[in-house]
Amino acid sequence: MTLNAISQSSHVSESAAKLIVRNVTMAYGGDRLGTVVALSDVDLQLLDGEFLSIVGPSGCGKSTLLRLISGLERPVRGSIELDGKLVEAPTPGVGFMFQRDVLLPWATVAQNIDIGHELAGVPRSERAARVDALTSLLGLDGFEKHYPAALSGGMRQRVSLGRLLAYAPKLYLMDEPFGALDAQTKLIMGQELLRIWHTARKSMVFVTHDIEEAVALSDRVVVMTGRPGRICLDVNVDLPRPRDTWGVRRTARFRELCDLIWQQLMGQGGEPQPHHA
Amino acid sequence: MLKSDGSAGFSPMTVSTNTLTPPSATGSADPSSSQDWLPALETRRRGLPRWLRLLLVRGLIGAVGLAAWQMLSNSAIGSVWISSPSLIATRLWQLHADGSLYVHTGVTVLQAFTGLTIGFVVGIAIGIVLGTLPRVAEAIDPFFMGLYSLPRIALAPLFIIWFGFGFLSKIVMVFSLVVVVFILNTMNGLREVDRDLIALMRTMCATRFFIFRKVQLQSLVPWVFAALRISIGLALIGSVLGELLGANRGLGWYIEQSGSRLDTTGVFAGLFVLMIAAVVINELVKLLELLALGAGRAPKSE
Repeated sequence: MTLNAISQSSHVSESAAKLIVRNVTMAYGGDRLGTVVALSDVDLQLLDGEFLSIVGPSGCGKSTLLRLISGLERPVRGSIELDGKLVEAPTPGVGFMFQRDVLLPWATVAQNIDIGHELAGVPRSERAARVDALTSLLGLDGFEKHYPAALSGGMRQRVSLGRLLAYAPKLYLMDEPFGALDAQTKLIMGQELLRIWHTARKSMVFVTHDIEEAVALSDRVVVMTGRPGRICLDVNVDLPRPRDTWGVRRTARFRELCDLIWQQLMGQGGEPQPHHA
Repeated sequence: MLKSDGSAGFSPMTVSTNTLTPPSATGSADPSSSQDWLPALETRRRGLPRWLRLLLVRGLIGAVGLAAWQMLSNSAIGSVWISSPSLIATRLWQLHADGSLYVHTGVTVLQAFTGLTIGFVVGIAIGIVLGTLPRVAEAIDPFFMGLYSLPRIALAPLFIIWFGFGFLSKIVMVFSLVVVVFILNTMNGLREVDRDLIALMRTMCATRFFIFRKVQLQSLVPWVFAALRISIGLALIGSVLGELLGANRGLGWYIEQSGSRLDTTGVFAGLFVLMIAAVVINELVKLLELLALGAGRAPKSE
């Protein structure tokens, strides 16, 4: 887990579609209380190694989309393909990170991270060294034997990220992973995530409601509107890589992209679109 | 600011938002560590240590209570009705000397313990089955609640008919009291497991057995201990109750025998031993709980 072995290329070399979301509709309920259409006819493609962010207001179905991609739930219509295979249940090689840290409260930091190794089938003999490498990478040195209750929110989320990295997925599904953190920690975690993504070159779907965060991190930003959730804008972020997530915010292009997305989100009311069969 | 490898010029350790520092890394980094306030802090802690003060106060309360009891039994009320501390102490000494203290206590505690152990195992097993098969649990719920609501003490005559006056009827009595507590707490514990935690494990393709072992079973531990704490009292009740209704030894039997002979000293002596037994067992469970739960987990209070 060295940070120096890094591919300098900032472009996606393989343009194979990692993930294809095709015409996906998701609804809940269907009883006396009525039906809630969470997603309506969503189409989305993700290239291998691409960093994609999804932004949109609360309740626009961003999290639902991630749950469908992860295989935790199945769409009522449409299909999701991962590496050309239909997703029907949780698939190996897909890692999910929630907004909540969801750590095992009775396990130490090291044990929590190690769960990822165990589920990824890493040989027992390698696990301890890898946990050490991850705790250093995430700045958790000296906390290996602490329990989650003794850590701050930011550190718990780092442990959670450590568990995800230990699982070493090829596709990262991040559901507002830094949403509950304070502004400073959020920025640092974003930078860390980008650094790790750079090293590992994995595909990433990053859900957030923070437009600046999305633009600063991503290759592409997809904007969703709510009720029912659908994609209304797909923006290529042509900011140079590697990227300093703080410095890049002062560039003109960054502001342009953010404005574009803002306008799309604010002007939603003005464009009614027919939907739902 | 931006290194060639894509990392920015800051790391999470140097710009840490956390007030926590690793214990090894504290050193003398704190600039305001002149600690001239230490004497002031120490004067606040002057006087007797807290635990000693508490011990003295408690001893005083006990002594006053015993003295009042002794005085009342020597004067206003009379020792026929309320015995007296000195009489009880003498009786306890006699019981100790002829060894019957240990026979009776041993029988009562053994009955309670055996019933409790069987109730523990069976109750948790049933609780896990019902907790993982919610439809079955739903279907049998009214029957279960009916049995639960029944004052099981009223079952005692049946148990004596079925299992006689010996050891077995007491164990069944204890079992019938505690098993429900374990069933209910186990089911509650399974219901309260963090759903996000299970969802997260599922995304990592964990098997059902893995999730059961690593998440559900672990979340049960505090609930089981809560059940255990409640059950100890119930187990002693069951054991003594069985003896009150028909037995030839045990603390319950001793109390009943003394009562029927209007021997209040005997009754109080039996009660005293029961109280001591209950307190000791409770403390043992607390210790066990502390060891089992360790850090990172708060006990469930119920």
